[in-house]
Amino acid sequence: MVAEGIPELVYYLGFILVNTIAIVIVLILLVSPRDRKPTPEKRAPFESGQIAVGRGRTRFIIQYYPYLLMFVVYDVVSMFLFAWALNLRSVGAAGTVPIFIFVSVLLFPLGYALKLANKPENW
Amino acid sequence: MTDPAFLVIAAATVIGAILAIEARDLVYGAAALGITFLGVAGLFILLDATYVAAFQIAVYIGAVVVLILFTVMLVGPVKGEAPIEHRRTSLMTAILVSLMLGIGGSLVSSNAFPGVDACGASCDLQLLSQTLLLGSGSNGGYAIQLELLSFVLVAAVIGALTLAKTERKA
Amino acid sequence: MVDLPPDPISMTIQIMTSPLFLKIAIFPGLASIGIIAALLTWLDRKITARVQLRIGPQYVSPLGGILQSFADLIKLAFKELIIPEKADRFFFLLAPIFGMVLGAGLIGLIPFSPETLISNLEVGLPVFLAFVTLSPTLVLLAGWSANSKYPFIGGLRSLFQQTGYEIPLWLSSIGVVMMAGSFNLSKIVQAQSTGYVLFGVHWWFIVPQILGAIIFLVTSVAEQERIPFDLPEAEPEIIMGWQAEYPGFLFLAAQGAGFIKLYAFSALFTTIYLGGYLGPGPLPPLFWSIFKTTVMVVVVILLRGAFGRVRLDQLLRYGWTLLLGLAIANIAITYFLIEGIPAI
Repeated sequence: MVAEGIPELVYYLGFILVNTIAIVIVLILLVSPRDRKPTPEKRAPFESGQIAVGRGRTRFIIQYYPYLLMFVVYDVVSMFLFAWALNLRSVGAAGTVPIFIFVSVLLFPLGYALKLANKPENW
Repeated sequence: MTDPAFLVIAAATVIGAILAIEARDLVYGAAALGITFLGVAGLFILLDATYVAAFQIAVYIGAVVVLILFTVMLVGPVKGEAPIEHRRTSLMTAILVSLMLGIGGSLVSSNAFPGVDACGASCDLQLLSQTLLLGSGSNGGYAIQLELLSFVLVAAVIGALTLAKTERKA
Repeated sequence: MVDLPPDPISMTIQIMTSPLFLKIAIFPGLASIGIIAALLTWLDRKITARVQLRIGPQYVSPLGGILQSFADLIKLAFKELIIPEKADRFFFLLAPIFGMVLGAGLIGLIPFSPETLISNLEVGLPVFLAFVTLSPTLVLLAGWSANSKYPFIGGLRSLFQQTGYEIPLWLSSIGVVMMAGSFNLSKIVQAQSTGYVLFGVHWWFIVPQILGAIIFLVTSVAEQERIPFDLPEAEPEIIMGWQAEYPGFLFLAAQGAGFIKLYAFSALFTTIYLGGYLGPGPLPPLFWSIFKTTVMVVVVILLRGAFGRVRLDQLLRYGWTLLLGLAIANIAITYFLIEGIPAI
């Protein structure tokens, strides 16, 4: 079930790199001294001297949410664009027409998202 | 079936999925979902579809998990507050659903995809564009499905944005 | 792969002396990544200092302070690990370590010469870009896990910046794929030596893809959160952003991950636009790839001294309108070049 060559390289690369870096980092972390005398000042969030007020995770910049949606959509678009680009010389113009329609259709939600983004009053 | 790589990856996928549902803190659940997608990418690699595996990681873990995390971090319960309690479903339901999915999955996979392509690892890339756009042999390519996909994406995005934004009285 | 002798000791020795393991462990693998990350920290500080008419690190060794980052490594390794209260320990510790692992994974895909490469994947370019896409997830988790306002703001800003600039990054590299006809990074390099001929010279892809190369450079600087795109770090405003709460060695890991990304992106730019290890005459291919990568690293470092900081809403708007439009235009131009000129 496993083909030769490519999955082997992927395993090898992944296994060795991940494990060795993780081991090196864990070894160095073992050297770092632990926090033996935790005082409340040490463990408080750092705000350059001010005392932190309020929750640690507040709501912010939700007016950029359309950009995240567009990222998801265009991630999928680039998957198909890569697939088209790979053998462009063999599919030629006939194969480009579906991709052209695909990308043009998806420019409309991009326009709508750009119209909505960046304006806090919309959110 | 007894390939050790397959067993490890399948176990990671299933355990990730279980953790994603059962985690009390939603951020941990989203991270476990990322592990599940990583397992699915591993399964794609085992099936010689390395291109699909790379984009599985890029699109699912890179975009969908990020979107879920962003939404959970901004809208979900604050860490330290009580987690959302679900109604516990019965064991019988779980067994029936698993049986249904298992039987359905094995029926689909044995009838809908007749036989493995004997091309090997490099074949899927040499003919990728042609298979997708122009088709090979009897099917005329997947161009229609591509356009349908674009319409689904348009509907999803416009729906999400319209539902999420607030109408201010001018 | 090879037949391993049953005895564990000789098996270990055989694995350790095999060329693939040496490549993974020494060059272009792990040991060289660590050393290069340390040297790049020094180079960044030195060049930035000279641009700003300062001297930069100078004390640690007679050679202009080149061992400064090693001294910093030793100092930071012995600092106390203070984790803020109510922080999420698991992700707090995990994020910088995974950042370094990601960076190292990127280096493993680059062909530094026809023999010196760790992994010759047929889908090399998409795998590289897929690794890059994992970075916004990590930064968002890192910023959230510290349970402190400023790292969280920095993490969110970083998320939007990196996701916004990632699409033009991908689309600009599609032009190279169109011309080379392959995802395999070695084959892309070779396509630049056997590709089209104009005035009797095989041009590297930077010439027909000049628009794509500029977009790639700009978006990769934004991906690395370097100046002029360092709003998520924003030293005077939000105290280093998502890295603010990281103590001691974890801070070094976060910074080191940034410099490994610098090295990786410069190496990728060299591979797909500047002809990788191709170069004239008697000098070995390895020299050429390292030389060109160093040139690109210096270019990116010089940008730090030359530009101010871009504001977040300007940044996102230009990324999603101007750069995305230019990247799609680049694809269209390349398409007409390929269809129109039969020699390409």
